[in-house]
Amino acid sequence: MAKLKLALYWAAACGGCDVAVLDINDKILDVAKLADIVFWPIALDFKYKDVEAMPDKSIDVCLFNGAIRSSEQEHIAKMLRNKSKVLVSFGACACFGGIPALANFTNRTEIMQRVYIEAPSNENPNKILPQTVTRVPEGEITLPELYETVLTLAQVVPVEYFVPGCPPTVPLILKVVDALATNTLPPPGATIPSAKTLCDECDRKKENKKISKIYRTHELIPDSQRCLLEQGLLCMGPATRGGCGLQCISVNVPCRGCFGPPAGVVDQGAKLVGAVASIYEANSDDEIARMVNEVVDPAGTFYRFGMSSSLLKGKCPQRT
Amino acid sequence: MKKVTIDPITRLEGHGKIEIFLNDDGDVANAYLQIPELRGFEKFCEGRPVEEMPRIVPRICGV
Repeated sequence: MAKLKLALYWAAACGGCDVAVLDINDKILDVAKLADIVFWPIALDFKYKDVEAMPDKSIDVCLFNGAIRSSEQEHIAKMLRNKSKVLVSFGACACFGGIPALANFTNRTEIMQRVYIEAPSNENPNKILPQTVTRVPEGEITLPELYETVLTLAQVVPVEYFVPGCPPTVPLILKVVDALATNTLPPPGATIPSAKTLCDECDRKKENKKISKIYRTHELIPDSQRCLLEQGLLCMGPATRGGCGLQCISVNVPCRGCFGPPAGVVDQGAKLVGAVASIYEANSDDEIARMVNEVVDPAGTFYRFGMSSSLLKGKCPQRT
Repeated sequence: MKKVTIDPITRLEGHGKIEIFLNDDGDVANAYLQIPELRGFEKFCEGRPVEEMPRIVPRICGV
């Protein structure tokens, strides 16, 4: 069998997804046997012009991580879509917006103001902000346009598969590699890990208890055997897809939802609000108000990784 | 003036491009490092609970 051509790219991302691919350790040698890597900025020196010169559909598989929040990222996403037979939305940022999509609670102007004018480490007396085109003595230099709103990969191009996680776990990446090696990828449109919720996979004891107080994580050392939600800690488990190997739960830390919503759930945050409300032990308007107020950052908690793909989308729904 | 663009710069964490201007003799007249990415942690961490920061700011750089 001819070797596959594999590309990896990062848009608005931290590089953790790329490192997760390297975390498969010696199995990377299996990947090298299976595929030639034709583009991977973190590891190999190919340029955008090299990708532009490739014929359409000449890349077999592209693992694309990172959200889309600039004109350059949208341009590269469209280019890699055209060049790739299979485009995989890889990691929470590409799938749901991820941590960068917390920026959807603000906007471009406020971000620029904070980052380049107000931040205490700046010295910028002339209040210079990045421009898409800057005249310099020698000519012109350019930057991409920053969008008002962070988008998912699938909001700008069609995508074959979704591999969620912040970052995707090693067993999950190996599952993808194995499916490529044996040509057993599921039908297009599939999300690779389990269709179940994290709660379905969690082995903590659930007692169907009601809760009368929401705790912040530093206010309580939870029992390591019992359901975190039933101890009053906000855990995204009921609204999150399983398949992560319970990495946070197993160290007594509540889930924040980086695997996105399970199959059949449109809005992860709304699902969690419903799940939490159903176990509230609050018998008066005052008690309900108190418990609602105990959730200090509802939007940033319930939509920690999922702002772009949520129904809310953000504070500024319009593009540009 | 001739311009040489290196885009993207590779084998490091993050995004960058370099634009190099050459004079008529082919020597470097000036070079600019451009960072074509911004996510805005400085802004969007505001208002988030402080105890959640250890779960948000590691995503500044995952390398």
